[in-house]
Amino acid sequence: MNQSALHQQRFEAIEAWLLGTMPRPERERFEADLARDPGLRAEVDLQRENMLAVELGGLRNAMRAIAADDAPAQRDARAGRPLLLRYAAAVAVLLTVAVWWAARPTADERLFARHYVADPGLPVPMSVPPAGAGVSDDPVFHDAMVAYKLGDHAEARAKWAALLPAAPTNDTLRYYIASAALAEGRAQEALPLLQAVAADGGSVFNAKARWYLFLVHLRSGDTAAMDTVGLDDDPVYGERVRAIKSGRE
Amino acid sequence: MDGLRCNDPAVLRALYKQHFPSVRAHVLKNSGTVTDAEDLFQEAMAVLWLRVKDGAMKEGSEAGAFLFRVAKNKWLDQLRSASHRHMRVVPIEHIPENPVEETTATEERLARLREVYANMDERCRNVLGRFYFQREDLATIAAAMGVEEDSIRTIKYRCMMKLRAFRRRINGGDEPIRP
Repeated sequence: MNQSALHQQRFEAIEAWLLGTMPRPERERFEADLARDPGLRAEVDLQRENMLAVELGGLRNAMRAIAADDAPAQRDARAGRPLLLRYAAAVAVLLTVAVWWAARPTADERLFARHYVADPGLPVPMSVPPAGAGVSDDPVFHDAMVAYKLGDHAEARAKWAALLPAAPTNDTLRYYIASAALAEGRAQEALPLLQAVAADGGSVFNAKARWYLFLVHLRSGDTAAMDTVGLDDDPVYGERVRAIKSGRE
Repeated sequence: MDGLRCNDPAVLRALYKQHFPSVRAHVLKNSGTVTDAEDLFQEAMAVLWLRVKDGAMKEGSEAGAFLFRVAKNKWLDQLRSASHRHMRVVPIEHIPENPVEETTATEERLARLREVYANMDERCRNVLGRFYFQREDLATIAAAMGVEEDSIRTIKYRCMMKLRAFRRRINGGDEPIRP
């Protein structure tokens, strides 16, 4: 057995055998392989230990949660908190409310929040795709897409940004770096990338880029810039754009 | 033992409720704090859990006595350390003294497993923990994390391959795996 790589199908067979979920005929074949292949036995041992490592981490977290639930002494201590501390807590709450009131979002920011939904991302292939000419064949691109879909937008943006110097005009990269930046609340970083894709009439991301560009301008209250995006008659976004504009009037 | 083997949360909670108070009482009587007792109990639980996983605990073994013995021995070790040398330990008559060597190998193995776990990033801990510890299926994990099932399957595979690469590195390439 090849010791340097473990194909996903082989890994899942070992996993199923260790978890006891492998069907009987397959299990018998696997156990026959196991009896004659020392490499496979070593691989099974390694995967068993790695699964145990994961479970041990889970056990630690579970026991900590149980101990935290079972802390009446701490609850008692909170109940008996001195009066002065209670006043301090009340003042802190009032201060928090005051700060929130001063920094509350503008009407345009609230409209943005109501209409902004992060791009769901592209499907991720099951196995690592072979290296090819396109940037979306790059395994790093898909790693970043997995991070993006899991909400790790900063990680996704950093991975995609590292690919950009090799393909500086790639619309897929530009669009998804902008999407990650927008999801992080970094609208100003997303702006030039969205503008570049919005100006690229041949891009499949053109209409989506213009929609997010429109939202970025809405967020900053820039009515003139919103009008330049020109999505009013778009079959997908036109109705929403017109409703937002009429709502602001 | 079956409940512990499959990480049943009800069994973990029952073991804590039933046996933590005696460990806490012993530690508090011997100059320790509640936090010391919680740390000790965690450690004793990990030793018991690993021995159950390895099939090294006989059916019908008294989990409570085992947990107390491991915790007591570990606390004795700590009391013998420099910072606690002046403290007096209250003797316990009713617990039979068993050799502690049996747990030493287990503790060394636990340290190696923790090293592997420490090498994982938060995303891998989350996905792998849900799958291998909580025994959730891929569809449940995918729904909870708002992604497709295939993405979770891919993440799980890649995370396990990262652990494999780490283990192979610390084991020196194709050396046999140290359990």
